[in-house]
Amino acid sequence: MSTNKIAKDLENFDDGVLDAMINEARSGIERDLQLIRRPEARVGVISSPVGRLLVAESDRGLATIHFLSMDAGERTLELLRKKFDLIENEASTRRVGAEIDRLFKGDFSVLAHRVDLSVVESDFQRRALTLLRTVPPGAVITYQGLAAAVGHPNSQRAIGTTMATNPVPIFVPCHRVIKSDGTIGNYGGGVENKLKLLRAEGFTVGRDLRLPSGAVMGHRKTRIFCRPECSAARRAGKASSLYFADAQSAGKAGLRACKLCRPA
Amino acid sequence: MREMQPDGCAARRIKYHDSRIGLSGVIDSVMGRTYELRIPPPFDVAVKSMEREIMRFLMRSTGDREDAKDLFQETWLRAYRAYPTLKSEDGLRPWIFRIAANLCRNRVRDRMRRTRVIINASANGVENALCASVSSSTRGGPENALHLKRSIARLPGKQGQALMMRKFAGLEYAEIGAALNCSVESARASVYQALQKLKADE
Repeated sequence: MSTNKIAKDLENFDDGVLDAMINEARSGIERDLQLIRRPEARVGVISSPVGRLLVAESDRGLATIHFLSMDAGERTLELLRKKFDLIENEASTRRVGAEIDRLFKGDFSVLAHRVDLSVVESDFQRRALTLLRTVPPGAVITYQGLAAAVGHPNSQRAIGTTMATNPVPIFVPCHRVIKSDGTIGNYGGGVENKLKLLRAEGFTVGRDLRLPSGAVMGHRKTRIFCRPECSAARRAGKASSLYFADAQSAGKAGLRACKLCRPA
Repeated sequence: MREMQPDGCAARRIKYHDSRIGLSGVIDSVMGRTYELRIPPPFDVAVKSMEREIMRFLMRSTGDREDAKDLFQETWLRAYRAYPTLKSEDGLRPWIFRIAANLCRNRVRDRMRRTRVIINASANGVENALCASVSSSTRGGPENALHLKRSIARLPGKQGQALMMRKFAGLEYAEIGAALNCSVESARASVYQALQKLKADE
């Protein structure tokens, strides 16, 4: 029996019949899909001063920024696919690229861009990332300080993991988190990019990758900044302590100098 | 770089080169590494590009319009739920066929169980289903079409599905293998054996 004969004998569903059946079935599919449909995210690759970035943006805000200099982003795409229907849209992601360029020219208002932390599963991580956005440009916080701010003062390692898996670096500024011993620490996009971002925000780090010698410690609640060795700074607690590269930066952020240690 | 696949789905690929920056702050080496960002087409595009062939396959497999419509809905709902697990557009077609084929098999098995309980007669649910469909969809049609449908219905499940995927849906043997979870050789053998049995039935 030839193939053609089989096809001829059984080919009794023309396209019109099939289309009618598909149209009837489609309404049911649409109805059921509405219940389980994932939100859309627009994905694209952009160039930036910190290298090639894979960017995803949903209607709720930036969902992912991935440094492609580190890896091809397969794992990132896998996580995104679980939460979003991905659509390639370079026009949308190009806008994000323009905002990053403006950030490097000193326009920090772009950091107010909304972020969508849907890919973050844990409440602790979501809280840490949200709190981190309150650290102003030009200041840094320690892993331990951020852990204390979240309410778990001994969870600095968990904060480290949270920073390493931060889905939206740059806009959720994990580059502003350093080690308690004053060293700059690591970064998901490479230490060089961490330094570039800090430098763009006016926080200059020495060649030894440590806090500069003139760094001051600012207190977010009292709005006072001190020398790190000041007794008042030690009493202030880590949860609301930030480091500024120098007294001028702290002054620009609206903090006043401590009257005990009189930082320059 | 963009390519068109035979089924009309645009394979959307971006290729780009990146340079690696050393920790010293100076570009100390430039490695022309090529990455590929591969995203399956949006689900609605996938549905649009394959809906006719899936409906045709389901119609042939079940032989019943209502069953085909039910399974059509179920196929796309299952596909949507599992869509995040699909890595790229390359495996999309056999993947959808595999879902459809599995659903057909489940439907036939369920029907056989139900039939046994109620009338305790038929040993072959597919044949019943197809014979019923012939009476409804090709009433008055050529006698040999009825005979052929019966013959196909009598084929073992895998051979029947392989035959339909090859001869009516036009899948490659590799795609049939992926859809039926077997090797390419096994898919080829199933189609061959099915054709031999149809010849013997003639």
